[in-house]
Amino acid sequence: MVLKSRLNRVQLAVLLLPGLFIFGMFTVYPIFRLLWMSFCDWSFASMLTQPFIGLQNYRDVWGDGTFWTVFVNSIVYTLVTVPGQMILGLFTAVLINGIRKGSVTFRVINYLPVITSWVIASLVFRYIFNTEGLLNYLLTNVLHVTASNTRWLDSRWGGMTVAMILGIWKGVGWNMVVFLAALQQVPMDLYEAAEMDGCGAWKKFCNVTLPCIRGTILFALIMLTIGGFNVFTSIKMITGGKPAHQTDTLLTWMYYKAFSTGKFGYAAALSFIMAFCLGLLAILQFKTMKNKDA
Amino acid sequence: MKKNALRKLRANFLRYLLLAIGTVVCTLPMIYMISTSLRPNGALYEYPPRFFPKWEALTLENYQYILSQSKFYLNFLNSVFVSLSSVVLAALVSSAMAFVMGKFHFRGKKLLFGFIILTMIIPGTTMIVPQFELATRLGLVNKLAGLIPFYVAWVIPFSTFMIKGFMEGIPDEITEATYIDGASVMTVYGKIALPLAAPAIASVSIFNFLTAWEEYPWANTVINDTDLRTLPIAIAGFFGQHQFTQWGYVFAMSVLTLIPVVIVFITCQRFFVQGLTAGSVKG
Amino acid sequence: MSTIKKILAILLSAVLCLAAFTALAESSETPVTINFWHHYSAQSAENETLMNDLIPKFESENPGIKVNAVSHEWAELHDKILVSASSQSLPDVARCDIAWLPEFQKMGVLVALDEAMPDFADVSAALLDSAMSTAKIGGHYYALALNTNSKILFYNTAMLEAANVAVPTTMDEWVAAVRALSGANANGQQVWGWNEPALSGWNICPFIWSFGGSLTNEDQTVATGYINSEATVKAVDTFAALVKEGALTGFNSGDIPMTDGFGTGRYAMMLEGPWKTAELSGAYPDVAYGTAPIPAGEGGSVSVLGGEDIAMFNTANQEAAWKFMQFMTSEYAETAMAQCGQIPVNKAALESDTVKNASYAPFIEAIQTAKARPTVAAWSEMDNELTNAMTAVVSGEKTAQEAMDELAVVFDQLLAQ
Repeated sequence: MVLKSRLNRVQLAVLLLPGLFIFGMFTVYPIFRLLWMSFCDWSFASMLTQPFIGLQNYRDVWGDGTFWTVFVNSIVYTLVTVPGQMILGLFTAVLINGIRKGSVTFRVINYLPVITSWVIASLVFRYIFNTEGLLNYLLTNVLHVTASNTRWLDSRWGGMTVAMILGIWKGVGWNMVVFLAALQQVPMDLYEAAEMDGCGAWKKFCNVTLPCIRGTILFALIMLTIGGFNVFTSIKMITGGKPAHQTDTLLTWMYYKAFSTGKFGYAAALSFIMAFCLGLLAILQFKTMKNKDA
Repeated sequence: MKKNALRKLRANFLRYLLLAIGTVVCTLPMIYMISTSLRPNGALYEYPPRFFPKWEALTLENYQYILSQSKFYLNFLNSVFVSLSSVVLAALVSSAMAFVMGKFHFRGKKLLFGFIILTMIIPGTTMIVPQFELATRLGLVNKLAGLIPFYVAWVIPFSTFMIKGFMEGIPDEITEATYIDGASVMTVYGKIALPLAAPAIASVSIFNFLTAWEEYPWANTVINDTDLRTLPIAIAGFFGQHQFTQWGYVFAMSVLTLIPVVIVFITCQRFFVQGLTAGSVKG
Repeated sequence: MSTIKKILAILLSAVLCLAAFTALAESSETPVTINFWHHYSAQSAENETLMNDLIPKFESENPGIKVNAVSHEWAELHDKILVSASSQSLPDVARCDIAWLPEFQKMGVLVALDEAMPDFADVSAALLDSAMSTAKIGGHYYALALNTNSKILFYNTAMLEAANVAVPTTMDEWVAAVRALSGANANGQQVWGWNEPALSGWNICPFIWSFGGSLTNEDQTVATGYINSEATVKAVDTFAALVKEGALTGFNSGDIPMTDGFGTGRYAMMLEGPWKTAELSGAYPDVAYGTAPIPAGEGGSVSVLGGEDIAMFNTANQEAAWKFMQFMTSEYAETAMAQCGQIPVNKAALESDTVKNASYAPFIEAIQTAKARPTVAAWSEMDNELTNAMTAVVSGEKTAQEAMDELAVVFDQLLAQ
């Protein structure tokens, strides 16, 4: 409804402005600042002058071999953890949706990894996957699956694997809750109708459940993709980018360039490339899901 | 009929079995963490490695050490202060924004809301460089107050988005009747919208609390002083110190850090699910 | 259009408030507090001494001055100082690795003490000249020497006896010993002859130098022909070969940390500094070990010179900071720190009974022949590049010759800056 009185307009502004102010100053301003910084020579050496250098930072990023390594790492991390979390989360949600007793308990238990902070979870995983750790002992000495201790944390893909396992472990619970909520909205009569047509459990799932929760899948997909590119703390805690930045991801590399070597301009360009890619991805995901409607 | 019942029973059994496996996978790392926190540091590289420490080797010395450090209480209070301040501030400003955007029309509303949502696709850590520069200019480096506005700004889009959905659900008849009685916008917001949206605000606040409680990269960048560190930085601070890591201390402190979160979560888990439902279905 | 205007208005108000905030932030200031950053680790005896003995004593002697000591991890301290320099939030005083000083000096954040402090000559006279030379850059002194150190060989007595290996005195013997000590223990667990916790200059330089190689020329202007010389490549090659054979480890993320591995008999030998003695007696009092100089190669027995200086930043409260720096290098403080494994550089402290009774002799001997890492502003970057090159060699990605040839080019560029 539209309120015409002046007093009410003032009050509306009073309600709206504090939030907009904080948001504008601490989120919007940094975004524009980031864009500007990415065109400037901004490092420890040129702190005071910060001359405009056009696209030089972008060229530096493009020509940097390590950038491509960490870029691939981030992509692989996202490509593995996003479907991993969604499939396991949806599967758990279907299981919980099908039981009567104890559904709340299982929901809470499955959510525990989500509320465990990244720092703590990463340290626990680092401890478990230690070359001399419990997991290797189990695999080598008890189950005899491996002949000798696997060096999980010491190589590029070993370290990434641990980070990805952690990512999935920690994310399943969130997906479970989101999908469970969606599953409970699916009208029962659709299932009944499908059953009449003689559909089995799997067919029911494909023909009834999946189409009904498509909105939720899109929501989860977009949120998780952002989350996948946002991976930072786990990498920093588990491998610290070792060996020689081969396990770094976009954000840990950006952070290293900015806060360890002082290449703020480079870091800004890298950040902007990343934000741009994510924007494109989100639009793409949106479009694909929309097309399926037709 | 009998065959059908048997099949149902089998399906149910399978469900519980799979869920039980899931439970083990979810909790095992945590149990291992607790069990490690209960053994002396010297037993960490014992052979063979054990999941549970020997009964006679069980010890509370790691907890005693952590709890005897005044630093731990400071870190804890810092975390509580930062998290609660951020949660309250975020709840106030985003519910107000959600109310205005959910219940009123003004020019550019769609664009404004769209822009707010759009910023959600940029991961928070991406902006750490310009945010650090901003914090420097505002004199917020190495201050607890330097964390709060950034955390609030960070959660505003998601919070506003979630609460707005709830506000839109409040029937216009209720609010309109109040205006006819001569109430102002403020009164409607305070007396009607806020109480009705309370479940959404609560669920969003729990999320925000978790976000602030575990935040690491920003706090680690802005805070220098030992006395001002929040719990995640304090825990991470055990690392890289010389060439040995006292895992017992690390995990004892982690357990102590997790306890409040688990309590908050278990007591409020009802809101949690409600909040998520609102967002995902509308999203 | 109006929405764009609105967004502009929001941005404008944000900028305005920003300016207001900045103005506010600059006004308030309390009685003198000195921020002192260091990298004594948080759970160490050094930190205990600092927090419970030295700072309380300093504060009671200097009423009106408070010391806010902040512990950072070694690498993080370096980064934090660089970032703080750019954000005008530097501490007043910091304990800096001697290898960092040229870099900080080049950034222009350090105070030239001999110019700023009238009594500098008196204060520095109490400290060893050799140690003070680490603070001298281009004719001026930018810090006071705080402590010195070097690394020597630590070996697990029982493991050497069991393998019937003598303590190596030459590099050839060292290679043979590292090989002989590796294998499996009674539990079937892998053991390693040598531990090296990282692949940076601090770790690799002793081998390069002892093998007769070098990083740069004497003037520290050129690296080609030095970092890729035959002797350097041989050192790197020997090191990498031992890694590949499974005889040398410690620098991987998944490895047992150095002290734990040595204390539990998984690493037979290591090269470490004087603080290790205190650390081992605290965490692993039962392990029996001996020490020896680093084995001699073609270049002799050359360890790496370590140590820290205490420096003042140009944003400091100079009077209070200078008092604290004098206190930290005083006989009292240096003697107290000597008990935790920090070799003093204060002449009077070196003469005290505590120091004479401490078993510093092997370290002080090692210091006589030890070399300093290149004292150039670009050292931190060079160090990173060296680590990357070493990683590529030990992983088998590049040969030692290839990696060092490439590194030489990078070093030359960095040195030319």
